[in-house]
Amino acid sequence: MALLALLAACGGGKGTDDAVSSGDTSPTGPAAVSVYSAAAASRFLAQASFGPTSAEISRVQAMSYSAWIDEQFAKPQALHRDALNLAAADLAATGQMVSPSNFYDSYWAQAVGGPDQLRQRAAFALSQIFVISFNNDTLRAQPRGVASYYDMLGANAFGNFRDLLESVALHPMMGVYLSHLKNQKEDPATGRVPDLNFAREITQLFSVGQYKLNADGTVVTDASGKAAAAYVSTDLEGLSQVFTGWSWYGGPNLADRTNRRFFGNDANLERDWRPMQDYNRFAANTDFHSISTKNFFGVSIPAQTLTTADTKGDLKIALDTLFNHPNVGPFIGKQLIQRLVTSNPSPQYVARVTAAFNNNGSGVRGDMKAVWRQVLLDPEARTPTTSISAGKVREPLVRLANFLRAFNAKSTTGRYLGIGNTDDPANRLNQTPMLAPTVFNFYRPGYVPSSKPIADAGLVAPEFQIVHDVSVAGYMNYMRTAVTIDTNRDIQQDYSAELALADKPADLVERMNLLLFYGEMPAALRAKMVEAVTSRAIPVAVYSSAPTVGGTLTKIADEGNSFTVTGTNTVRYGAGTTFIEQSVTGAGQCTNDFFGTDPLPGSGKSCFVFTPTPAAGASAPAALPPAVASNQGAIDSAKRDRVYLAVFLSMVSPDYLIQK
Amino acid sequence: MTILKTSRLDASRRRFLRTASVVSGSVGTAAAPFALNLASLNTAVAQTADYKAIVCLFLYGGNDSSHMVLRTDALSFDEYTRLRSVAPESIALKAPNTAAVAGTNASPDRLGGVRAIAPKFTAGVAGSAQNNAFTYALHPSMPEVATLFAANRLAILANAGPLVVPLTRADYVANVMPRPKALGSHNDQQSTWQALGPEGAKVGWGGHIGDLVASSNANTVFTSISVSGNAVFSAGETVFQYQVGGNGATQIGGISGTLFGSTTAAATLKGIVTGANQNLFANEYGTIVKRSIDAQAAFQTAYVASTVAAPTQYVRPSTNQLTNNDLAAQLQTVARIVGARGGLGAKRQVFFVSMGGFDTHDGQNPNQADLLARISHALGYFDTTLGTLGMRDNVTLFTASDFGRTLTSNGDGTDHGWGGHHFVMGGAVNGGDIYGRFPQFIQKAADSNDNAYIPGVSVDTIGSTLGKWFGVSDAQLDTVFPNLHNFPRDLGFLRPT
Repeated sequence: MALLALLAACGGGKGTDDAVSSGDTSPTGPAAVSVYSAAAASRFLAQASFGPTSAEISRVQAMSYSAWIDEQFAKPQALHRDALNLAAADLAATGQMVSPSNFYDSYWAQAVGGPDQLRQRAAFALSQIFVISFNNDTLRAQPRGVASYYDMLGANAFGNFRDLLESVALHPMMGVYLSHLKNQKEDPATGRVPDLNFAREITQLFSVGQYKLNADGTVVTDASGKAAAAYVSTDLEGLSQVFTGWSWYGGPNLADRTNRRFFGNDANLERDWRPMQDYNRFAANTDFHSISTKNFFGVSIPAQTLTTADTKGDLKIALDTLFNHPNVGPFIGKQLIQRLVTSNPSPQYVARVTAAFNNNGSGVRGDMKAVWRQVLLDPEARTPTTSISAGKVREPLVRLANFLRAFNAKSTTGRYLGIGNTDDPANRLNQTPMLAPTVFNFYRPGYVPSSKPIADAGLVAPEFQIVHDVSVAGYMNYMRTAVTIDTNRDIQQDYSAELALADKPADLVERMNLLLFYGEMPAALRAKMVEAVTSRAIPVAVYSSAPTVGGTLTKIADEGNSFTVTGTNTVRYGAGTTFIEQSVTGAGQCTNDFFGTDPLPGSGKSCFVFTPTPAAGASAPAALPPAVASNQGAIDSAKRDRVYLAVFLSMVSPDYLIQK
Repeated sequence: MTILKTSRLDASRRRFLRTASVVSGSVGTAAAPFALNLASLNTAVAQTADYKAIVCLFLYGGNDSSHMVLRTDALSFDEYTRLRSVAPESIALKAPNTAAVAGTNASPDRLGGVRAIAPKFTAGVAGSAQNNAFTYALHPSMPEVATLFAANRLAILANAGPLVVPLTRADYVANVMPRPKALGSHNDQQSTWQALGPEGAKVGWGGHIGDLVASSNANTVFTSISVSGNAVFSAGETVFQYQVGGNGATQIGGISGTLFGSTTAAATLKGIVTGANQNLFANEYGTIVKRSIDAQAAFQTAYVASTVAAPTQYVRPSTNQLTNNDLAAQLQTVARIVGARGGLGAKRQVFFVSMGGFDTHDGQNPNQADLLARISHALGYFDTTLGTLGMRDNVTLFTASDFGRTLTSNGDGTDHGWGGHHFVMGGAVNGGDIYGRFPQFIQKAADSNDNAYIPGVSVDTIGSTLGKWFGVSDAQLDTVFPNLHNFPRDLGFLRPT
């Protein structure tokens, strides 16, 4: 059965045969159910979701990576826009308006609680390529528009790249951010030229990139070893003419596209999220689209007249041209690998993703499902490695999501309130969703940190761009508070599984290993973690009265003597109303040494077992009824501290911070 | 290419030169890189009479400097007015002495005329002979800059930008001579200004100059300091960029004392987060954490003891409201570090501060007016604060930006250009003058390609002038700026001190 599941995983695109043979090759147990080890499933989920949970690890083990991905592709999408509408309705009652915070709440609700985890992770990756940002004053005032932009990325994440590119180009928030909304044609009389901004960035950042690329993502060089530019400035000027004549959604009727609406007046109430519209010719004084000859990338759109101006037709030609550029597969594919899997994929890995982009196996170019599948199922993604250059810095937002998911955080209100803006590097995460400083994202795909070993090895490490003296301290300080339980918070992690392991430090640390390190916690780190957890002593339970409900205490020995119990039994050691208890199998000693502490110093003590009084008609004896120790609060506090130590030390250890 | 005298040093050769120049550094004895030499801090205090700092103020997004400094003679200003007063929203600033009238906040009408300045046109200053025939002004929102210029503590660098070799318009059109890669691209031109190469460059010239002077600091950790995140400008070969925020260095809690009820876990934690690791990235992360912890205490003690007056708020032109000035706050941090130089054991420091938002493709009137007002207010504050510290002559600030912008308007903004005007400010600056020929505002003429200025002053020359003032030798400057031999080495805007 495992073999069948594995074979099913390789269907479709090129290169996945390898994914099968050298993927997770260590299924544990009889494999009747589990195809993969829990650790392997956890590692997969670290790449494919906002973080593994116990439950999801088990589910992946019971299906297959491929089946899990298929299941994820089919999950319905929840809209952030709906959440913003809800928030707006609530706030209206007190005369307030939505703000970016309402988007952050919705973002965390989906990141932590959303069942469509692959979409969540994919949308976050895309939002770091097709960047818009609340850093822009206009966008900050339109949180629902930005929410709908994020929805659009999520909706297109599993569609075709060509549609994604068009949806990005026509989203009004992108139109505002890169200023092609309201962009007008050139005017030779005044010297006005179309705004070049969007033409440049859709080319340089969203599709083609700066330099000609081979299919494996390496740069094409000329005879002198110089990188070959993928375009020249006149290509961008030609494209800038295409992106003229577009503006706010005016309404369902052509006549709605008036001159006033083009310039932002008479706002349609849905214009913040509906795609921009072409304004040429539908109302008076709206001939804003360039009708000159437009040349770009070897394509030439002939000159038009005011009556033949074809705003939408030009857009189609331009987007088709960009979409079909051979750079798109390696340029976008490599960045998606960097977001999900590793900072420095091999050229072969990039080439396999490019192949999936170029042809999904059915002759379709740009099928994003094939791309995600290859990114995640590629042998290089699936095979753990100990190479010193492996992996990537986990994004700070992904770390927080990991933490909240691993420990089953739930929102009391269901709205995941209170995380908010996490930018402050001195005491937060130095990263906030949809708040990149510029269109160049939080970090650049080619960023090289000022570290000689990394630079000399020719490696890039994008996320290191936001890692520095201040932000490493800020992250540790933020997490030190975040790992604790605070009943005032709306979002509460559930440590019940961890608390149950608090008196078994090795098991507690092993749980961290599964949830946060996918089983690859180094032995040295494990030893240190166990040592740290153990160093927080759990006080021995002391009972202030002997429980006698449902039975009687029977003395089995006085202090200093030995005793024997039948099977395993709970033995109480003390006198009067003060006891400690310990589970004993077979023989034991009624001594301080045996019980580990002296519950009643200076007094003679004895050992007792609980003999239940069978209920009338019942044959089985009752269990020892739970007793509440007089120091239960201190015990609970110590157990929580042990969990905090285990979680905190994990979350800040470099072995966790680098996802390998 | 070789005949054009561009640098042909290969990477390893360059690396060798950098390393060698550090080891044989002419300033003081060599200190171990990354060393936190606490023992020598006390003796360092006595040595800080000779202190100098360079501050890079980077204007991210590409400042439209044609709106920051303007030629106001008819020859230039009429064309400026023509090209920039196009529908739907004119961005053309008004002529000097035009009275402000009612209108939208931060519109040219509401701002009133540009602020005339009177350059000295000192004989011998590059460009003076050509520039003195014309008149000049600053954006209306820059009163403090005008005051500093008049007080000779601020100079204007005309039409500066990245170049490989000097380029005339004829050279540009002929397209034979090399030019910087990826012109017009934000990330690449930011990198080129800061590190002389497109994105991916690893060593910035600020950090590289830091490499060369670090040995004069008792504590090399505090040689290159960024107050606004990682920037390649501040990264050296051996000197890393030390990051501070508004409150100075950030202390990591929980690495000493009791952690979650354990008295020993803090030590374990510290070991985990700073430990060496086989994985290069994990190791680098631990290295940064270790540095953060080690440097923080030494830094913070000196920093906390150094106080300066906080900046006031500035009037934001687009709202006419008093608003916090983040740039002034960054410069307050710089001033406090300058004040803490004794405790930090610093004699030479390179700082990086920045502002974003200069990519004014649209909404240029309100957006750029706000930004320029913020710069002016912050520079005024910094000058006053350094004056209070008695450190004006010791600190030189210069501006840099991705690029200048197009001459034409796109209807309410401008697009990516190349050359742009910049400021250099400080007590050691030969201020009140314009350095470099100031171009006429006109397309397709001597100083422009089709729609942007071809720089007349190279970044190499600006850096070399600053580096020479800092005490870096000519031979060392040639390693920092491999193309310097193609350009003037010293523009003369700094007095030797």
